[in-house]
This record gives sequence, structure tokens and C-alpha cells, in this order.
Amino acid sequence: MFLQLALAVFVAAAGSVTPLASGAASAERPCGSPYLVDQELPSGARWQLCWEMRTIEGLTLNRVTYVPKGSPAVSVLRSAALAQIHVPYDSGEPRYHDIGSLGSAAIPLTDADCPGGERRKQVVCVTTRPRGHAYLKDGFGDPDLRRSKQGRELVVLSAYQVGWYTYIAEFVFGDDGSITPRVGATGSLAGTTTAPKHGWPIGVGSRHFEESHSHNVFWRMDFDIQGASRDVVEQYDFAGNKTKKRALKRTVLRRETKAVNQRMRWWRVVDPKVRNTDRHPVSWEINNSDSAQYRGPSDEAFTRADLYVTQYRSCERLATYNVAPRCGKSVDQYAGRERVKDPVIWVNVGYHHVARDEDADPMPVHWQGFRITPRDVTANNPH
Amino acid sequence: MRRVVVVAAAATGVSLFAGAAVLLTGEDAPEAARTARTAPSPGDPLTPGEISRAGTIATGPSQEHMKAGRVELLYVERDDDKAEDDRRAEAYLYDYADDSLIVRTVDLGDNKIVRETRGKGVQPPPSRREETTAAELLLAHPKLGRGVRRAYANAAGRELRSAADLGLRGLIYSQPGGPCATHRCVRLFVRLPDGKHLDTSRIVIDLSAKKVHTLEW
Repeated sequence: MFLQLALAVFVAAAGSVTPLASGAASAERPCGSPYLVDQELPSGARWQLCWEMRTIEGLTLNRVTYVPKGSPAVSVLRSAALAQIHVPYDSGEPRYHDIGSLGSAAIPLTDADCPGGERRKQVVCVTTRPRGHAYLKDGFGDPDLRRSKQGRELVVLSAYQVGWYTYIAEFVFGDDGSITPRVGATGSLAGTTTAPKHGWPIGVGSRHFEESHSHNVFWRMDFDIQGASRDVVEQYDFAGNKTKKRALKRTVLRRETKAVNQRMRWWRVVDPKVRNTDRHPVSWEINNSDSAQYRGPSDEAFTRADLYVTQYRSCERLATYNVAPRCGKSVDQYAGRERVKDPVIWVNVGYHHVARDEDADPMPVHWQGFRITPRDVTANNPH
Repeated sequence: MRRVVVVAAAATGVSLFAGAAVLLTGEDAPEAARTARTAPSPGDPLTPGEISRAGTIATGPSQEHMKAGRVELLYVERDDDKAEDDRRAEAYLYDYADDSLIVRTVDLGDNKIVRETRGKGVQPPPSRREETTAAELLLAHPKLGRGVRRAYANAAGRELRSAADLGLRGLIYSQPGGPCATHRCVRLFVRLPDGKHLDTSRIVIDLSAKKVHTLEW
């Protein structure tokens, strides 16, 4: 009950004109300076969240709230963090689980790493940057009707040194209400030599074949749309193949689920009781279409799905090599048959890295991530 | 400023937390002074003061084993269980003699251990101190240690003094069937002063058995 009250207070505070960062009593604030991020973007969209550099998971964002222009605040995520980076090499070995203690692997950032932004505690960058066109609609000769706007996004990032690799972990919050968690791998190549069938020749001639490998990045996203209760996960497919018609098919995931990607498939977390002014339930759509979909051997069953839905349990933190006794060890074990009353979404995005000459050195960043977009959070485009 | 915090921590009898203190950045020190006066907000990370207090309380029942080198405090994390309103910390301790992880949850309001869970075969990431211990075991290995020293001397132009000269990052290694199915084993990334990493992919350091294993594949 107290928790619900506390959440209600937070939501109320977020929805009022008074910014969380100023004026509010400390008891009403979910976090204080320098952990609070409260950013209004030029379009009028606003994001509020708390960050924490956790010893194990590294950068963790808590209590993420979106305030569309002219609308009340809506809380989206209770928590979002990396849950593993699994790196199997193509010859079969080695196979790394790169979440060591990420908090202690965080690299101190410079101003150059955080252009136009603010470094928090040296290891977190909070900044904004252009994201290209928000929209463009011709006025057909009438300049008053012409609509064109450039979008902007809030970025919260940290970087970690794990062996020869540097990982840049970004959470990007668009002024269209979208959230893009992504990881960029940079730093240096491992320099591991392998047989030609497992690698690509790097350097002069064909002596050194750099070993290809995958980065299977897992995120843990605890969605709480206006609180932890009532949230439901749905999967959407569009039936029809080599035909003119496509028919929408909705599957409600009432129990824990191991879901795989399909063309056009997406999911959403919806709170049926929270409605926009069109009386449509507010939801957040998850699209994981860019994964290489690595599937490992049977002792790596966690690689065999692209999105897991699990009932919230505080001990389930990492997708593999979980850290809690008397708890599941990996995400495939968490996703049993339990009824889901408070969903946690685990997203697995793979990238297969076949090295090229340009990767040495430093290695240009290669990115992988997924998209979360608002679906019916507002009754129209508020920006 | 950093020195002030470390000295203050030692003065209150929590020298065990030197590992945690090493992680403090320069900005943490003034914050430590500030948070001593104002209580942190519910979602704030643990303050350095809370980390040392939680560590002291959580290690209380393991003092004997810690003195004997059998148990080590790995680190302290904020307990972010959303069903709990109280400010809590989780201290991770490892018992190398019976290979079990002990997690003690400390209520920071009451200064009490409110929960203890213990289990085998659960390996949280290596702590900074464990990374150093693993490097020391590697350096003590007759053949591999010599190789590391030689590579260091070539890269640095001087002899290696201690494991502290090496850039270290450890990851847990676990292998069903082998000793590392139950032992606490780490793989080390070792960075030399010229920026190159040693090829350590086949080397596993077994912190429970205090041995170095070489993997075959």
C-alpha cells in the first residue's frame, strides 16, 4: 500500500507543473541530484528518470516517466538495465559472459565524450542531440500549411572497458516518446587468430584470420505503466503470406513466455485501465527486428528466444550467470509457466561481428539495440 | 579528498572495505560529507557511508572466517526490490572453503541483517580484490607467470613489480563437469602498458583451489 502511495505521489508530482528537480520536498522525489534526470526537449516532450551505477549491471535507469506535451505524465519503466552480453566465438571457444562488475569497469568520461551534455559522477553522460526529421508535410504551395520539424532526443550513456572491448551503453529517449536501448562495441579487436572458415583476413595478406564472434546483448526491462498492477503483454502477428490480405492476430501472453522474432511481429505492454483521451488503452510497443538471432547449443538455452516475458521477481537480475542464491540462473529458467501479473521483458539482440580491415584500430562502433514506441499514449501527435 | 574518505572509513573500523573505497571517485568525497547531513532519497544509490555501514553489519557473523581468509566480502549493492519501501543493501560474501555465496540483506534504517540467502553454484562477477588475487595466482604459476613477466618487461621496458602493474578485468568462468562447475573460477583479461592484451583466453584461475587451469580446445 505504501509503495502504491509512494508511486502515486511520484506520478502526481511528475504530472504537475512543478518540476521534480525543483521545489518538491525530498520525500516526494524518487531520487535527488545528481541522480535525477529531468529533461524537457524543444518539442515540449519531457522525460524524467533516476540513474544508478550498480556494481554488477552498471548503468541502471529507474522510474522512467514520459510527459507528452499538454498531457499528464505516464510512468513507463520501473527499471531498465543491461542483463548480459554473451560473446561466443565462431570456432566454438571461447564463450564469454561479459557482465563482470560493470560498475567498476565504467570508464571516466570526458567533455568530448558528452558533447553539449552534463557528466554525472564522471561515468554517466546526460545529453541531447538531433534525431533528424520529426515530421515533414508539404503545404502544397501554402507556407502556413507546411509542417516540418526537427526532432531531438535525450541520451543517457555510460561506457565500460571489458578486456580489449569498450562497450558504450546508451538509453535514448526521443521527443516522439520512443525509447531506444542500444549497445555499441568499440575499442580493439581481440586479435585472436583462427582458421579461415571461422574468420576474416585482417592486416597484410592472408596470414591472420581474425575470429568472427557474436555479441548477444540482453536487457531487462521492468515495465510499470502507471504502477505495477494490471500490465498485460500482447503479441501481434499479421497472417497472410504471398497473398494480398494481411489479418491482425493478437495473442495475449497471460503466462510467462519465450518468444521468437518473426517478420512483422511485435509486442506491446498495455495497461487496459489507463486510457488516452480517445479512450484507447495506453501501451508501449516493443520491436526487436534487427537481431542476428544467434541460437546456441542446448546448454545455452537462454539464446533460443528473442524476447522473454516473466513475472517480476526481484532476484531475477541477469539473463545468464544470475547473482542470487535460491533463484533461477538464467532467463530461460525464469520464463516458466507462471501467470504474469507484473511483467518483466527481457530482450535479446544479437550482432554477428565479422571483422574487416577498417576495424583496426580503434575499432569503429557497431551498434545493436531495439525500439520501444508509444502506442496510444496520446490521442494524436502532441508535438 | 579520496584519502580523507579512506582514512575516515578505516577509523570506524571498516578497513575491510578498502576495496569499495578504491571505487570512489573524487566527486564522492564531498558527497559523503553532504549525505552525512541529509538522508538520501529512496531511489538514490547507496552512499559511501551506507556501503561501509552495510558491509560492517553484513560481515559481523563471518568475522572468524574472514580473519582466516575463508570468506571475503565481494561488494555491496542497493536492494532494489520494488516490494520493499525500506532502504536496504545487499552484501555479497563468498565462502571459498565450501564454495557458497552468501547474500545478506541489511536494513539501513534498523542497522540489522533482515535476510540471508546462501547457495552453491551461484557466481556473481569477481570483485576488484579477486581480480588481483587471480593475477597473483597467475604470476605464481611457474610457466605462465614467467610468460606474463616476460611480456610485461618487453612492453614496459622494465620488470614487473606486482599484479598492480597490470590492467586487470575478470569474468566468471563456469564449466559443467569440471572443477569450475562448483569452484569460483575467473578468466582474466590482462592489459600491458603498451595497450596490448595477453592472450589469456585459455587460462582459468580457480580461486577456490588456488590453482591455474589451462583449457584445451
